[in-house]
Amino acid sequence: MYLATEAMTILRVEILLTCPSSSELALLCVLSGKESQENACVISQCLRGFMETPLNHPQISLSRRTLSAADVQASDVRPLSVLEETLSYLLSLLDSREHPFEVVHDFIFDRTRSIRQDLSIQNLASEGVIHLYEEIVKFHVISRQRLQGCSGTSISSMHHLNMEQLAKTLTTLYNIYDANRKPDYIYENEAEFRSLYVLLHLNTSSGVMGEPLSLWFRKLTSNLIKSKEMCFVRKLLRSYRNGNYRSFLRTTASEATYLQYCISEPHIREMRSFAVECINNVCYKLQPYPLLRLSHNLMMKEMDVESLCHECGLEIRTDSDGSIVLPTKQTNFCRPKEGFRNYDLIGIEVERLL
Amino acid sequence: MAYVSMGEAHRRITEYLNRFCDAVSYQDSSMLCRLLSFSSNSPSLLSLADALNVFQDASSLIRQSDKFSEYGEILAHLFRSLQSYRVGNLVEAYLAFEKFANAFVQEFRNWESAWALEALYVVCYEIRILAEKADKELTSNGKSPEKLKAAGSLLMKVFGVLAGKGPKRVGALYVTCQLFKTYFKLGTVNLCRSVIRSIETARIFDFEEFPRRDKVTYMYYTGRLEVFNENFPAADTKLSYALQHCNPKRERNIRMILKYLIPVKLSLGIIPKDELLQKYNLHEYMNVVQALRKGDLRLLRHALQEHEDRYCIVAVFLRSGVYLVLEKLELQVYQRLMKKIYIIQKLSDPARAHQLKLEVIAKALRWLEIDMDLDEVECIMTILIYKNLVKGYLAHKSKVVVLSKQDPFPKLNGKPVGS
Repeated sequence: MYLATEAMTILRVEILLTCPSSSELALLCVLSGKESQENACVISQCLRGFMETPLNHPQISLSRRTLSAADVQASDVRPLSVLEETLSYLLSLLDSREHPFEVVHDFIFDRTRSIRQDLSIQNLASEGVIHLYEEIVKFHVISRQRLQGCSGTSISSMHHLNMEQLAKTLTTLYNIYDANRKPDYIYENEAEFRSLYVLLHLNTSSGVMGEPLSLWFRKLTSNLIKSKEMCFVRKLLRSYRNGNYRSFLRTTASEATYLQYCISEPHIREMRSFAVECINNVCYKLQPYPLLRLSHNLMMKEMDVESLCHECGLEIRTDSDGSIVLPTKQTNFCRPKEGFRNYDLIGIEVERLL
Repeated sequence: MAYVSMGEAHRRITEYLNRFCDAVSYQDSSMLCRLLSFSSNSPSLLSLADALNVFQDASSLIRQSDKFSEYGEILAHLFRSLQSYRVGNLVEAYLAFEKFANAFVQEFRNWESAWALEALYVVCYEIRILAEKADKELTSNGKSPEKLKAAGSLLMKVFGVLAGKGPKRVGALYVTCQLFKTYFKLGTVNLCRSVIRSIETARIFDFEEFPRRDKVTYMYYTGRLEVFNENFPAADTKLSYALQHCNPKRERNIRMILKYLIPVKLSLGIIPKDELLQKYNLHEYMNVVQALRKGDLRLLRHALQEHEDRYCIVAVFLRSGVYLVLEKLELQVYQRLMKKIYIIQKLSDPARAHQLKLEVIAKALRWLEIDMDLDEVECIMTILIYKNLVKGYLAHKSKVVVLSKQDPFPKLNGKPVGS
């Protein structure tokens, strides 16, 4: 049953999901209670959800929950199975082409926070819960990558909030991994999700999650340290810290999972611009550097290398034999600004997870 | 537990009570220290504990005398703690000791002079040690360990008591060090920040006034924090201070300092002698040092990788927080290797020694069982030149690095690579 009027004020929004068959979700929305501006927004979200998707549609969009922990009653909290269905549906929207990505992100962002709230209230710590948190991390990681390609005044704050929630979700996930851990046991995807922490902290100055990497490594079990995923990120870390752009790019292309690649993208850009800076700085002035060769070393298309050089404030020219070259020892080099465009990593083969 | 008669138990307890009260009355700090030091497991304390477990109602003894009852609350908790400690009930021992410590600190506040500082140190030390033991007991019983965290809160309270203008302030550094040990054990080293800020910025503290022993410990821990934060020049300053001022007879402490100072020094281009590593049993760094001396990249990588047949050396380096420092030495090893190639070339063909062919470098790496294509060799040389580990330029068309005729391999001179 669905009730909504402009005059109606809200105390709580209760969502019950029933699944008469595996392909249908029925949405029930009950509104009652006291005034609040936030709750008015909830109503509009509900209305939007219902107007966009008819009730008899197999996949029905879900309204936002705005319960505070103090207001929550046992009957308000969705059980794990419902949360799993909800999240599965939400993540299926990620590839939707109907709306700009920032709209889709915003929609899913709010609802995944609410799912986390329900999980937190219930204080669950099962494999099913771990899976949910892992999926939410995936959402934030993929969003981080895709928001880079969006434009608009609110993107910067969306990106910031997304990173904040990524950090919180990862922290919770790691705590759950650690709680009730059996000796020498690691969860199925734990090594990969732990590796994301390293990738978020390749740069010493990035304090995404607060704890310096040296300190964080201390807590890892031997099994985790020896895992394929942690060995991969340690190799990447070594390459990054030593500036070995060739090894960094090649290792990423050959070994990164999709999630690891998404997280690494800013560093890929960084290493590429660093490579251009180094080459411009150290190469013999009378031997301009061929862009074709540079594109091979940086695992980029040649036209993308041209674009990168321009972003770095460097000029390119065409040589007498028709090849495009980068004259070296130019003095105008500058690091490209934040939020510059992504370039493909040639040679990478990752399967998208969603 | 030896058999103790009621009479003997009465005698032992009364003797202790008298000693305690006299120590306070006559401001005999060293006597008081001996009376409070549970972890010393001294025969007198153990025999007192046995007596308490037999007598069972020591509170009545305390109440009987005005002399004893003045410190009734302190002594009652202390006795309860000692009883529990003796029978191995460490959680109960901690809880009672915490109450004792709170009552003792209240009393300490009222004593105008700093006569009881050493005894307060003992209380701080004992609460930390008891808390660690209590947490072990909790963990073994499947419960959440929380006593060390509680001990940390109490230590902060003690710090607050000492952070004043009077003579007691010189004790603040000792308590700070106990806090460091607590936070490092808990893994919550970020909590060190607030107490460091107080020590280093508050006007009431003059670092030079603190006892030397505490200054050394303080610099050791703050130096380690700088290592975690990868701030190597600051880590060098602090750990070097700790080393210079450490009692030379305290070999265990010197070893602990060197464990962190050596990787920091290596990152600044300063290599320790083998004798130092051997004297202080720091064999884990032998291969790393050798790799740096010889330019042996294979040895460095081997030194920083897992060994299946022995304990995981990487885990050792990761746990101590020096792994990332050691990883960064790779560029210095490359520099050393290039220098060796240059020296060899100079011997055979001095006119062309300053030209390093990428192919020759790749060949040298192959001898070290490292397979690297020319693109990556070029990349490495580019970085070495960019970071001023090699002076010269890259002629990529000819696939040659042309070295500067003067000082082609500059020393780091105590600065990190690339600074």
